[in-house]
Amino acid sequence: MSDAVRDGERGASGESRDDAGADSHEIDARPPTVAIAASLAAAGVAATAASVASPTGGALLGVAALGFLGGSLRGSARVLTWGAAVGVVGLALAGYRGAPPEALLVAAVGLAVAWDIADHGVGLGEQVGRGARARRNVAVHAGSGLLVGALAAGLVYGVTLAVGGGQPVAALALLLAGGIALISALR
Amino acid sequence: MSDPRGAAVASDSDASDRNGESDPSADDATGRESDATGRESDADATESVDAAAAESAGAPTDRESRREIETDRWLGIAGAALALVGLGVLVRQSSLVLAGAVGVGYAVYARAGDAPTPTLAVTRSVSDETPAPGDEVRVTVRAENVGEGALPDLRLVDGVPPGLAVVDGPARVGTALRPGTAVTFEYIVRAARGDHEWEAMTAITRDAAGARERTTAFDAPTAIACTPELSAGGDLPLRGLTTVHHGRVPTDVGGAGVEFHATREYRRGDPLKRIDWNRRARTGELSTVELREERAATVVLLVDARESAYAAADPDAETAVEASVSAAGQAFSALLDGGDRVGIAALSPLDCWLPPGSGTVHAARGRETLATDPALAPTPSDERFYRSLWLRRFRRRIPADAQVLFFTPLVDDTAASLARRIDAHGHLVTVLSPDPTTTETAGQRLTTFERRQRLRALRSAGIRALEWGDDSFPVAVAAATRRWSR
Repeated sequence: MSDAVRDGERGASGESRDDAGADSHEIDARPPTVAIAASLAAAGVAATAASVASPTGGALLGVAALGFLGGSLRGSARVLTWGAAVGVVGLALAGYRGAPPEALLVAAVGLAVAWDIADHGVGLGEQVGRGARARRNVAVHAGSGLLVGALAAGLVYGVTLAVGGGQPVAALALLLAGGIALISALR
Repeated sequence: MSDPRGAAVASDSDASDRNGESDPSADDATGRESDATGRESDADATESVDAAAAESAGAPTDRESRREIETDRWLGIAGAALALVGLGVLVRQSSLVLAGAVGVGYAVYARAGDAPTPTLAVTRSVSDETPAPGDEVRVTVRAENVGEGALPDLRLVDGVPPGLAVVDGPARVGTALRPGTAVTFEYIVRAARGDHEWEAMTAITRDAAGARERTTAFDAPTAIACTPELSAGGDLPLRGLTTVHHGRVPTDVGGAGVEFHATREYRRGDPLKRIDWNRRARTGELSTVELREERAATVVLLVDARESAYAAADPDAETAVEASVSAAGQAFSALLDGGDRVGIAALSPLDCWLPPGSGTVHAARGRETLATDPALAPTPSDERFYRSLWLRRFRRRIPADAQVLFFTPLVDDTAASLARRIDAHGHLVTVLSPDPTTTETAGQRLTTFERRQRLRALRSAGIRALEWGDDSFPVAVAAATRRWSR
C-alpha cells in the first residue's frame, strides 16, 4: 500500500509539472492520484469479499469500483454517487444470496471507505488541485473513515455473537432501532 | 468571498475575542514547537524561516470567518442503510441487517462533529522583497496550528497577488494538523512591475467525516515592490508645440539656432555673424539669415490603462499596458535628458497625474509613478471608467503648451476619439500604439483590421501615429522618424 502511495504521489507531481507548462494559470483540478489509488484498493477489497458469496454481487461491486475510477478521473461527484448506489445494490444482492456476515461486513465497510476517499479526493482536487501536497490529508481522512467502519462493524458483529446466532432477524433489526434511538437521545 | 463584507466585519470582534482567549495556549504551543516541527514528516525543512518569523510564530494570525456550509456528502447514507436493514428483515438474512448497521454507523459519524475553527499562526517569507521584473521569487508559507483542537482536514490556499504569476508549484496545500504542528509549503512567483500585496490566505477546514466545511481567511501581510530601471530610450521626435524655453525641438520660429530657416531684410542690431555676406557681395544688399530656434517642449505621457487596454497576444504574453508603460519609461528618460518637461497621466478609472517637470527629483518621481502607481497596475482595476469626466479633469490639469504622447493599443474607438479630441483642443497628439493583435482566427483578423482602420483614420486626421509589435519601441521610433515631416 505504501509503495503504491509513493508511486501515486510521484506520478501526480510529474503530471502537474507538465500541465503547469501547458497552462500555468489554472490548477490541475483532478483528484490526487493517492486518493484514486486508495479508493480503488478499498473497492477491490469490497468486490473480492462480496464475490465470496455471490459472483453477481461481487460483479456489481466491481462495477461500483469502475464508477469510482471514472468519477475520480472526471472529477464528478455525481458519477461517484451512482457508483455507490450500484455498490449498495450489489451488497443487497450478495446478502440476499446468503453471504456470510463477515464477508458482507467487510464488503460494506470497503464500499463506504472507497466512496468516501473518492469523493474526498474530488473535493480536494477542486480546492487544492492535483499538484499540491495532499498525501497526509488523504491518509488522515481514509484512516478515520476506515476506523469508524471497523468500529461499527466490530460492534454489530460482537453484539450478534453475544446474543447468539439463533435470534430471529426482526429481533436484530429491533435491536438496531433501539440503538439508533439511544444514540439520537444522547446527542 | 461572495459573502457580504458586513458579515465579515461583524465576526471580527468575535475573532479577536477568541484570539484573546487562546493567548495562554499560544505560549504552550511555542514550548512544544521545537519537537513538533522535528517530528512533522509532512512539513518541509523550515530553515528558511528567519528568526523574526519564528519568534512571532506562536501568536495566532488575525482571522476572519468567511462562511460555513454543509457539504451534504453523506446525504442518503441513512436511507441506504435502512433499506438494507428492511430488505434483511424481509428476506430473513441477518447479514444484511448487520451491513445496514454499518451504514447507520457512518450516518452517525457524519452527524457527529463540527467543522473546527482553525487557530493558525501564518508566516510568509519571500526570498526577495525588491525583485527586478522577471525575477523568480520563492515564497515560503508556514502555518502552525496554535489552537487547542486538531484539524483533521485543512486546505490552505494562499492569496497570491493578482499581478504575479505562480510559475512553480501551486500555492496550495492539503494537510491535517495536530495542535502544535506546522505545515510549510513553497512556491515560486515571477515578479512583475508594481507593488504587490498578498491577499488573505484562505483556510478551509472540514470535520473528520467531511460533512461540514468552514472557510476562514488569515491575514498575513506580505508585499514585494518591483520597480524597473528606466532604460534610456532613443531620440523621440516631438511635434512643433513648444514652450518659450530653449531646448532641442526645432521650431518654425526664426532666430538663433543651427539649421537654416529663412533670410530677411537686415535690421539694425542683427549680429554680424548672421549677416549673409555672400549676398552682400553679389547684390550689395544687407540681409540676415534666420535659423530655426530650438526650444523645449512640455510633454505629457498618457498611458491607456482602461480594462480594454489589458490586451495581450496570448494569455502568457505581456499586456499592451505593460508594453505602453515600458515604452513610456523610455520616452520619459529620453525626453527628460533632452531638456523637455515631462509629465505622466493615465487613461484609467483611477487617478494618476504627475505634472510636467524636470530635474533629478522629477526623474525619480516619474520612475516611481510608472512602476507602482495603482492606475498603471499590471492587472486592471474594477472601477468604471467615465470618459467625459476624465477628459474634463485632464483638460483642467494639462498645461496649455503641452503636447501629448498617447500610448494606447487602440483596441476600441474610445481611445481613437479621445486622441482626436485632445488634439483638437490644441494639445498636439502623437499616438504610440503597441500591437497586441494576432491573426490566427477570423475574429482576431477582424480585430487587427479594425485597429489598422483606426490608425489610418488617425493619420488622415493629421495625428502622428506609430505602432510597434515584435520589434522594440526604439527601433519602431527610428523607422517612423524617417517618414515624419516636422
